[in-house]
Parts: sequence; structure tokens; C-alpha cells
Amino acid sequence: MPYGYNGRVLHVNLTDASWEVEEPGEVWYRTYVGGSSLAAYYLLKNIKAGIDPLSEENVLVFACSVVTGAPLSGFSRYTVAAKSPLTGGFGEAEAGGYFGPELKFAGFDAIVFYGRASKPAYLWLHDGDVEICDAANLWGKDNWETLEGLREELGDKRIRVASIGPAGERLIPFACVQNDLEHFNGRAGMGAVMGSKNLKAVAVRGKQKLEMADPDSVKEIRHWHNERFKVHPPNVGLSKVGTSGLVKGLNQAGILPTHNFKYGVFNGVDKIDAEAYHATIFHSSSTCYSCAVKCKRRVALEDDAYPLDPRFGGAEYESLGCLGSLLDIDNLPAIARANQVCNLMGLDAISTGCVVAFAMECFEHGILTTEDTGGKALEFGDADAMLWLIEEMVNQRGIGKILSQGVKKAAAAIGRGADKYAFHIKGSELPVHDGRGKTGMAMGYALSATADHVETPHDTAFAANVTNLLPLGILEPVQPLDTNAAKARYFSLGQKAWGINNCYGICNFCSVPIHAMTFTRLVEAIKAITGWETSLFEILRVSERSNVMARMFNNREGFSPADDRVIRRWHEPMPDGPLKGQRIDPEEFQAAIEMYYEISGWDKDGKPTPGKLIDLNLEWLIEENDATGTGETVSSSA
Amino acid sequence: MTLQVQVKLFLHLRKNRNQTVEVTDGSTARDLVRLLGIRLEAVGVLSINDRQATLDQQLKDGDIISIIPPIGGG
Repeated sequence: MPYGYNGRVLHVNLTDASWEVEEPGEVWYRTYVGGSSLAAYYLLKNIKAGIDPLSEENVLVFACSVVTGAPLSGFSRYTVAAKSPLTGGFGEAEAGGYFGPELKFAGFDAIVFYGRASKPAYLWLHDGDVEICDAANLWGKDNWETLEGLREELGDKRIRVASIGPAGERLIPFACVQNDLEHFNGRAGMGAVMGSKNLKAVAVRGKQKLEMADPDSVKEIRHWHNERFKVHPPNVGLSKVGTSGLVKGLNQAGILPTHNFKYGVFNGVDKIDAEAYHATIFHSSSTCYSCAVKCKRRVALEDDAYPLDPRFGGAEYESLGCLGSLLDIDNLPAIARANQVCNLMGLDAISTGCVVAFAMECFEHGILTTEDTGGKALEFGDADAMLWLIEEMVNQRGIGKILSQGVKKAAAAIGRGADKYAFHIKGSELPVHDGRGKTGMAMGYALSATADHVETPHDTAFAANVTNLLPLGILEPVQPLDTNAAKARYFSLGQKAWGINNCYGICNFCSVPIHAMTFTRLVEAIKAITGWETSLFEILRVSERSNVMARMFNNREGFSPADDRVIRRWHEPMPDGPLKGQRIDPEEFQAAIEMYYEISGWDKDGKPTPGKLIDLNLEWLIEENDATGTGETVSSSA
Repeated sequence: MTLQVQVKLFLHLRKNRNQTVEVTDGSTARDLVRLLGIRLEAVGVLSINDRQATLDQQLKDGDIISIIPPIGGG
């Protein structure tokens, strides 16, 4: 067996309940590695352009990496990927927890699902064995009931389960996949794809140990890494207060999205920040497989209106923003309750909050009225209206059913100028990071295949010093507010650096470039796990290859440079706060995007050149490139 | 001659998070960070009087300096 991984990919045809195991060789593993990269390979190979994402022609991938499950902090993550029902393009989402490592211990590095089960089913993998089981009694259950039901049915409390809730079953295009009720493959609607395949859950259990090429070095790196968490500034805060600490910091920097991305400062911030969180609803800390950071929060509250159960996950920064400041809501128990409803029902809390914000702004401007809502006022700041609307979306009732299609489609259905307030990129709602205060992040949103932020540089982390970036040749502090050629160069390098984590299945909060891992030690870790004589050069190429494959997927679906843009509001001056007056100049932004194409070896149509594809060992995609690129815009941003 | 500036610290820098500090005339934000015993690596966003600023900016009497550690993701 190879070191660090199993060398086995499971292919499951749900239509005829058959399966087979592929054993790709080392060259393939070293090229595609895992996570978003490995998933992109299978999506490009198996999905025809133009298919309906919710049809049986879509392909769903669960992908660990060659290093997932190694006993190092942060090496726990896995990707779920498919054609996204939210964007119509490349869809991927990562989650931590224990599911990914357990999948490896069960004998597989990845699972590729095809077709559609004729009736609700779940997949049960245990110690190399594969069973496709009846899930009729689980259909309609929330994620907690599903987990408990499977534990009972399989007679093992230690199984790990990735499942969907009712939102996924009802094909809500921003339904998520979750594991253990506190870890989420949140973005891009992967839960709806599972639902469309009648696949309720994947349960895994394995006792196989992953062999490390150099166990002593892995142990030494683990000790060094875990000691560094105690002193490395960003990790100290994460261990202490989790991601809730970001709320106050971003507000102070003037980039906490508020009132549907209009403002960057939230007046109620003191009621939802880390201090309030830990004084009122905090229950305990939690963590992922083998991780010493312990950034996860659990919450508890005995309250009739907003009961909180420590088993159902605590609100992270994104939920505090999307279900809080974005809606002008400063009622922390209500925010945490809304987050738990999303967790149980299987909704992505980011898209959910953005959809509610869109509805509230439509209501503010009279585009939606009580006539549309059956008498319910949807005013900013109203926590109960938020909770009501989430229930209406989950239960597919009235205005909730329309809004549950995401802001882009909902705006089209509502009409009356609603698209003016529907903030999305490529059809995807946005995480709460205001691009006006970090233009590299804005470029990342525009250029990400999924319009998400996890493979995107945060300029503000390197405005004062770039110590962590020096090995990339970034030697000068980054100017967060600049949009120019220098920013395009920084972004291009930073994107590759951040992208490493999604390919190797490593948590951003443990890894390069902001957190405690260094590039040098990361290379050493991958070498110690796999035995490969690797380098920073090779792992950056893996990241770039992954990004280019996702881009190729979108290009052949008809996306074009017109989709590489940000929301209208970021081109307008920030109305208040430390960044008052700050905007992203559209022409400067367009020039920076075009500069990025040039730096990346892409042509003016945003297509990687044949030379670039050959450079990245992707010559098999050259014909694809020739066949695509009608220039037709399939999506546009408000 | 000395200047008095007000310092606001965030996240894990919060010990004595609001404090008045005396610095010598001509000091920059970088000098202040050193004086506070904060590692340069721990400075993400620096703002002076609620405007984003660089470490090389010279301080004036009465300035309010906010120091936020590097933050990203969530």
C-alpha cells in the first residue's frame, strides 16, 4: 500500500446499485492529489456540458487527499463536488470534522457517485466493504435524526455520517452536506445534488491505519506545529474565541457586511461579538480530527423562543455575519438558533442569510409587501421574521418557496426591479467579507469558479508585514485598498497559496499562509506522509492545476469574462465607517482581472492557453478548450 | 517632547485594550507597536483615527490607533 493513502477510489452507480473500485497509480495521485483537484478531474471526465445539475447525469464526488487523516492538526478535510445547482458551474465545498479521515480508514480515498437511486438510499462503507442500503425510514428526517437513526440501525455509535436534511431532499439549490452536526460542506448546493440522487447519507467506519512514510518526522512536525499554535498570533485568538473573534476585528476595520452589503460597520456589533458570545451562549469548545486548535464552538441556552442545543453546532463568523449584521440583527440567541435550524434542516447558512437580507431589502423598498408574504413584515433587524422566513423556505411555502431558489432566480421571479438588491456572483450568494476593504478578496470572488472565498487571499492579513509570504517572493506589504497590476501579481500568487489547502484537504486555520504552518514545514509534512520528494514548486502547481480545471469546467458551461465581476455595491462608495468613500473603481478592477489572465497564461476570453494546459499536464483538456467559449454570458451580477 | 496617543487593541491583543500611551515626538506607528511589545507579525490591520494606515505613518498628539491582528476566513 502507498504511504498516506489507500490507492483506491470507489465508483458507485446508484441507478443499478453497482460499484467498482479503481486503483489509480502513483503518477495520477501525485498529479491530482485530492480534494478540489481530484474532484475536478472526475467532474471534467464524467459530466457533459449543459446537463441539468439535478438530473441523474450529474456526478457527485466525495474526495479526501493523499494526506487526509495524517495525525497532524488540520489534516482532516474533504471535498464534496458536483455541477452546482446554484450557479450551473463548478461546485465544491469542503468540511472538516472526522468524516474524511474515517473514509480513509475505511479503505477509500474518494467516492464518485453516478446516476440516481430508484428510492432513498444510503451508502455504508466499513473496512473496505461497500453496501448500498435502503433509507426509506430516514427520508424526511433532519440531520440529527438521521445520525441517530443510522447509529441505531448499524449498531455502532462511532460511525461517521455525512448527510442531508429536508432542504437537500427538497432540492433547495443552497442545501448543504454536513457531518456530525457541526461540520459543513456548505456552499454550492451539494446537498441538493445528493437529494436529487435519492442519496440521504454516507456512513463510514474503518479501523485501517494509514501508514506514514516517515512516522518520526510526522511526529516531530506535529509537536512543532501544535506548540506554534500557542504563540502564533492568529491561532492564539482562534483557540481562545474561535471565529467569533473576527466579528469585532472586521467591524473595526470597516468591512463587516451589514444591511445586505450596504455598510461595513454594524452598530449592534457589541451584542454579537466574541465577548457577548462567550458571556451568554457559549457551552464548550470542540475540534476536528487530530487538531489542537479547537476553534469550534458549541452553544447552549434554555429558552422558549431560541433554544440552543450543544449537539447542533455553534455559529461561526460567517453565520454571525450572514444571520446577524447582514440583517441588522443583534439578537445573539436568535442568530445562533437560526444557525442551528440551518444545521438541522441542511441549509447553507451563508446563502440563507443572504437570501433573507435580499428579501428584507426588497421589503424596505416596497418591492415585496405583506401581500407577497401573507401578511408578514420582513424588516431589517427583526429576528423573528428571519426565523419565520427560514422555516417558510425549508417547508417550501409561499414567498419562502420563491426565495429558496437563491437571490438570482428569486429576483427574476419577483421582477419589479428586485435584481437591484440581489447580490450574487455567478449566481452564488456571498460570504461576509467586503471586497471594498480588501480588493484581493474582491478579485478572488470574481475569479473563483464557485465565487467563494476559501481559496482567496485576505489582503488585510498582510498589510503590515508579509513574513509568512516571503517564500513566495512577496517581499513588500500588501495594500488592501489598491486595485492595480501589483495587486494582480499578489493575488495570483496568494490564490495559489490558499488553493493548496483545498487540494490537500488541510484547514486554512492550521495551514499556510496566515496560520501556524509554514511553507517549508508543509512541504516536509507532505514528504514525511507520502514519501514523495516534493517541493513548494510542485504543491503550488497542484493548486494552479486545480484552479485551471475548475475554470475549464465553467468555460465549457458557457461562463465568460463577463462573469468575472463583483457586486454593484462594491463599486459604490462605502457610506460610513473607517472606509467611508472607499469603492472599487470598475475600470481599475477590469484591468486587474485582465492582468491576472495574462499572468496566468489565459487568453483575453479567460481561457487557459494550450501552452498553459501543457505546462500543467492537462493536455487532455486542449480539445475541450477549442470546443468552448461562445462568449455567451450565462450569469450576471447585480 | 512627548505626545499622548490612545491605543485600542483587538482580539487576543486585548490585554489593556484601551490605553493611553506616551510616545516621543516624531514616532511612527511602527515605533508604537515596538513600544507596546507587540510582535510585528501580530499586526494585521492598523488604523489611525479610524482610517487605514501604514506602520510608517507619523503619530500626532491625540491620535487613536487601532491594532487588529491578521484575520482571514470564517
